[in-house]
Amino acid sequence: MTELQADQGAQALEIPHAQAKTQRNRDALIALAVFVVLALLPTVFSSKLLLDFVIRCAAYGLFATSLNLLVGYTGLISFGHGMFFGLGAYGFGLMMQKTGVPVPVAFIATLVITFVVALVIGAICVRLKEIYFAFVTLAFQMLIHSTILSWVSLTGGDQGLRGGIPRPPFLGIDLSNQLHLYVASCALLVIGLYLMHRIAQSPFGYTLRMIRDNAMRASFIGIDVWRAKLTIFVLAALFASTGGIIMALFVSGAYPEFAYWTISGEGIFINMLGGVTTFLGPMVGTVLLLILNDTVTRLTEYHGLVLGIVILFFAIGLRKGLMDFVVEWYAQRRNNAGERG
Amino acid sequence: MTRTRKPGVSRRATLAMMGAGALTFASPWLARAQAKTIKIGMPTILSGRVAQLGTSSRNAVMLEIEKVNAAGGLAGRQIEMVIRDSKGQPQEAARVARELVNTDGCEILIDAEASSGAFAVHEVARDLGVLCLHTNSETSALSADPKQHIPNAFRTARQGVHDSIVGGSYAAAIAKAKGLKKWATCSPDYAYGRDTTGEFVTYLKRFAPDIEIISESWPKLFQPDYTEVVTKILQAKPQALYSCLWGGDLTSYIDQANIYALFSQMEVFAVNMADYTALTVVKNLPKGIHSGNRYIKTYPATPENAAWGDAYKAKYNEYPTNWSWENATAIMLLAEASKKANSADGKKIAEAMRGLKIKSPFGADGTVTMRAEDQTLVGYAIGWGTTIPQEPYVPQVQAGDWKTIFELEAEWKKSKGYT
Repeated sequence: MTELQADQGAQALEIPHAQAKTQRNRDALIALAVFVVLALLPTVFSSKLLLDFVIRCAAYGLFATSLNLLVGYTGLISFGHGMFFGLGAYGFGLMMQKTGVPVPVAFIATLVITFVVALVIGAICVRLKEIYFAFVTLAFQMLIHSTILSWVSLTGGDQGLRGGIPRPPFLGIDLSNQLHLYVASCALLVIGLYLMHRIAQSPFGYTLRMIRDNAMRASFIGIDVWRAKLTIFVLAALFASTGGIIMALFVSGAYPEFAYWTISGEGIFINMLGGVTTFLGPMVGTVLLLILNDTVTRLTEYHGLVLGIVILFFAIGLRKGLMDFVVEWYAQRRNNAGERG
Repeated sequence: MTRTRKPGVSRRATLAMMGAGALTFASPWLARAQAKTIKIGMPTILSGRVAQLGTSSRNAVMLEIEKVNAAGGLAGRQIEMVIRDSKGQPQEAARVARELVNTDGCEILIDAEASSGAFAVHEVARDLGVLCLHTNSETSALSADPKQHIPNAFRTARQGVHDSIVGGSYAAAIAKAKGLKKWATCSPDYAYGRDTTGEFVTYLKRFAPDIEIISESWPKLFQPDYTEVVTKILQAKPQALYSCLWGGDLTSYIDQANIYALFSQMEVFAVNMADYTALTVVKNLPKGIHSGNRYIKTYPATPENAAWGDAYKAKYNEYPTNWSWENATAIMLLAEASKKANSADGKKIAEAMRGLKIKSPFGADGTVTMRAEDQTLVGYAIGWGTTIPQEPYVPQVQAGDWKTIFELEAEWKKSKGYT
């Protein structure tokens, strides 16, 4: 570490509380502004394609960003994150189909279920490191997937939850109306991203980065690494589950594919595409992947080939995600400008 | 010397991006502007393990659409098919279906999805109210369960419960004649495999009550190696074996079981054998495997069916599949219903289609009917026969009796609490 960097570090620690508060307020303002813009979008573009697109972006975006809390911020490469996406979809769908409780109750109850399941699975998994962690999470995912497939009387097996998800209106919000669902998804997305950003910027978020960089040092200075890892594992699961709920509402059902390893794979791919070093990387990756997927499937049935080439381009060509690349490029340009000035 | 260039996005790039953006959002309206033609959207599986079946669905649809268009289209409007891959994922199937209706302006959906994808498209049809014909899902609940019922969705495919009734009664007759008491089953381990096998055994025991199942095997779907399963069955020494393995799984199973000479030691009933995708791929097709008909151009043994199979072969250089006739039937029904309603409007076509009986090369008596009460296809050719190693592969097919099917189907519905 150079003296200059050490200096910067010291300054960062001295940020007064007032400044942290303004940061928080600024985040909240940005979130509010983004939500207003998204909510007003349908008044400008009446395209239903756009609504569907943003709803799916919300589902996958929450899922991928929450995965980045594990992968990018904590260094936990989870191959089984999709299980919580599936759990959210099934939990919510079953709750609405079987009990007929109001939507917000089912939403909260699903998150509670996810919390409990994630706590149990996390308690077992986060003790493990690297490849062992990755494989045990994958194993749990396959366990949940197999359970969904074989518990036919409850889940409908490989046919999924059939008969549609009922959604009685609440507080004037009718989620069977596409526009209402759109606004609700935008709200969940923005709130989710805001909360995740707060987590990432909090002292706890910086603890996670430290664990990622050197877990042993973290434990030497008195951090309970296991507890920190478990906390973020559970928090990430809650956001992934919210993504699953949005997806269940979008397709009006839940299918075993939602809990299959391919969903986790897509999450990892989105993170590769967008980049894991910036907070918004996975969101950019989501938009990029969905645009790619939608346009390429429209144009050719050899979409696998095209997507494969794109992956190769990012993995071998750029060697980083798009946002990483943009941020670096921007920083370099500013440096150059500074030198010239 | 270095090139000087202003930082930031160039004007040319901005223009290009704006152009691309405008095109993306304007394309639906451009598409809609060319009225007169009617667009039919079709999500199906064109990649992955079952791509061959998806492709055969598309082929059959295109074959029929050409005929309909040549005869003037749907109430004077030429049909344009928009066919898109769903990769066999239900969320993609739902997305593609919505996109086809909302953006591409498709007025009718042909849902050529299997299994969960069909249920996902069904929800889209429920939401958007668009006329939807399910062509590939054979899950009985799709039309039998009243919770699934919507006025704008129809099924033009065979149905699991029909297969089980016909298979059970056919197998029971042979079991009685040959004294086959000890049975084994071997089916893929997922809902279709478990349900179909369960229903088959139910009806087998109903017609021949003294039968006993002495061994059950549930290999995984798409399992490459069946040695373990084959030896387990041989050790149990059953007199007969039932299997609803299909496609590549069935052909690998037969190839591997042939090594152990399994087929000479017991009677084998494989419901999905008599489909060209399986018949033409097996290396040494054993003689005497009992199978239900999936699609075979010699059954029904009519000139119309043979001509249809040959026309397909001539055009695509391969034989049609089970999914092919189911998709062709959808277009035939659509054309007839539109003629009857004298309209291309989805609601009017749906109205005309309920209870509609049409001439069909695939009908048991030369016709098929869209049953009004549950909007599913009945009266199609359904029967069982035994294989020979060369064409016509299944020379004699014993027809199933639709009267029995209707009686037992009604009973089955009642037992499930559907009626």
